[in-house]
Amino acid sequence: MISQPLVLGIETSCDETAVGIVRGRTLLANVISSSVEEHARFGGVVPEIASRAHLEAMPYVIKQALRDAKVSLSDIDAVGVTAGPGLIGALLVGTGAAHGIALALDKPLYGVNHLSAHLAVDALDQSRDLSPAIGLLVSGGHSSIIEVTDLALAVKVLGSTIDDAAGEAFDKIARVLELDFPGGPAIDRLALSGDPAAIDFPRGLQSSDFNFSFSGLKSAVARYLQQTPEAIRADVAASFQEAVVDVLLTKALRACAETGIAALLIAGGVAANSRLRAEAARRCQMAGVELRIPPMELCTDNGVMVAALTSLALSAGVAPSAIGFPTLSTVPLNQPTWA
Amino acid sequence: MKTTLVIDTATDRTTAGLVRDGVVISELHHDDPLAHGEVLPKLVAALLAENLAIDLVAIGMGPGPFTGLRVGIAFGQSFALARNIPWVGVSSLAAMASAHNDTEFIVAIDARRREYFCEHYRGGKLYAPGRALQREELSNSTLPIYLEPPAALGLAALASTALSVAEPIYIRKPDAYPAPKGVKVRPWTHTDLVPIYSLERAIYLEDPWSFEQFKEEFAGKSRQYLVAEFGGNIVGYAGIMLAGDVTDILTLTVAPDFRRRGIAREFLKRMIDWSRNQKVDAMMLEMRVGNVEAEPLYLENGFRKIAERADYYGPGITAVVMRKELGR
Ligand SMILES: [Zn+2]
Repeated sequence: MISQPLVLGIETSCDETAVGIVRGRTLLANVISSSVEEHARFGGVVPEIASRAHLEAMPYVIKQALRDAKVSLSDIDAVGVTAGPGLIGALLVGTGAAHGIALALDKPLYGVNHLSAHLAVDALDQSRDLSPAIGLLVSGGHSSIIEVTDLALAVKVLGSTIDDAAGEAFDKIARVLELDFPGGPAIDRLALSGDPAAIDFPRGLQSSDFNFSFSGLKSAVARYLQQTPEAIRADVAASFQEAVVDVLLTKALRACAETGIAALLIAGGVAANSRLRAEAARRCQMAGVELRIPPMELCTDNGVMVAALTSLALSAGVAPSAIGFPTLSTVPLNQPTWA
Repeated sequence: MKTTLVIDTATDRTTAGLVRDGVVISELHHDDPLAHGEVLPKLVAALLAENLAIDLVAIGMGPGPFTGLRVGIAFGQSFALARNIPWVGVSSLAAMASAHNDTEFIVAIDARRREYFCEHYRGGKLYAPGRALQREELSNSTLPIYLEPPAALGLAALASTALSVAEPIYIRKPDAYPAPKGVKVRPWTHTDLVPIYSLERAIYLEDPWSFEQFKEEFAGKSRQYLVAEFGGNIVGYAGIMLAGDVTDILTLTVAPDFRRRGIAREFLKRMIDWSRNQKVDAMMLEMRVGNVEAEPLYLENGFRKIAERADYYGPGITAVVMRKELGR
């Protein structure tokens, strides 16, 4: 077993063409080329445009990552690539490129789960040893609470959204508020000048389980705007955001209390939300829970997270994926790497 | 001696081969239009078992259906990068043509959606540049038409000429390319009815909805109608209604000059959102058989054909009924 493997990670599940390089738990390079500006004109990601952009950007992104890390491809010990979930046409560009490198160099290749990879960036914080945590994974496609014992081997989903993901709710409310795509950062910005306590939006599922529901909240905001044309948009944004943050943190911290795991790991695109970060810090401190939250640039999609999970899998002795493994548009969270 | 690794994924066939100085050492292929991503690595892994030093990668750059095409290009480019050897892109159609010596013929690759990417050769030279032809247009041709996928030998031979291609060959425009800035999608208002009606008559020559029908729709409940507006003009409209435990797409229309710019996609996305909010089990729609522009959009968004209704749009015009499950 290589103790400090040099790993190249490729991520193309959505509109980011991203390559990351890690050595063991150390980040060496994080290069991202995004086609988000092209998609912004449509208010969403257009699969064909994303796939074309991935193919154009891939060689440049790989070369830049190697330059940044000051390594060459022949030094690499393993290759990791997002195999799902994601847009199939987009994923295939990444898995095609990853197979090309792995076969050319005769190195192990890992097809990894994009969702587990979001959590794996936590391993890059070397100020402490790897230890169990309650994961709160919040992104455009997912909102889940996960018991993480060992990222490469054992993750257990405690609860998930039963309708929209948190990020999806942000995008939709942004559209109702006529804000730009992507919606998350736009609402975050607008909310800064609003009053989070101005409107008391419903919190959805108050049940004792760890599932979420955001569709009621979404409808409530839309209805409120319809009935209250004079509403201050910043207040609406701030109050909506407050409701989402409140639900996410209440349930996540309850999971910490019930499992006795006094660490909360927040990951995924929505983890970049400033209000979520501030509230999480406050509430975790009150609850005596250690908060782990990756730096902003590692919360949104990137290749480092793929490399980090691959590195953990390699170190844990997980077998590489079979050559020609499939790409999948949907995958359960509890499958960190492909067979 | 020079050994070339040859890759082509422009057709339903995935091809990988090793060619040394104009002689095929090994050639593998597998026919499956949806499995290039899984098949290509396996074929190349099998070739690498021969343990030959590879000097060059030759990649078929299409034209071909995009998803499969990109697998071969992404794979070949990064393989070359990792081995620190050059790669050369070649036209898959030109490689197909190199296998024939009729005085005049056409080579064609099935581009899906009833279209073929074609090149016309005469006297050993390219006579008409690559273009997309409808299946019907192609079948009217009296020339020999060759559809056999390109072989490793032809691809490798082209790679050693000056005819290299650096970019994937995309004959068809992307499904959606940037709409002119300023196209706005919004719910309809009363003042949109007249422009909608005139667009309806311009597009559905056979059997347009009447103005009365639009007025009834406007007054109706449990519906959502959207319009796309550009420069003050209505360039598209779409409507959906609640019908029991499903929603039914009533119309989705985009002016010809504004098609393939993401407007239909945006309409559909909003109608799916709306349907989810209605808490229904599924969405339904009826579409004319052979509506080649709309069908891929619906399929891609999870609609499946469930029935056909003969004479639905008038004598001889069959409707396809499609359904998308929304349950989670
Ligand atoms: Zn993500």
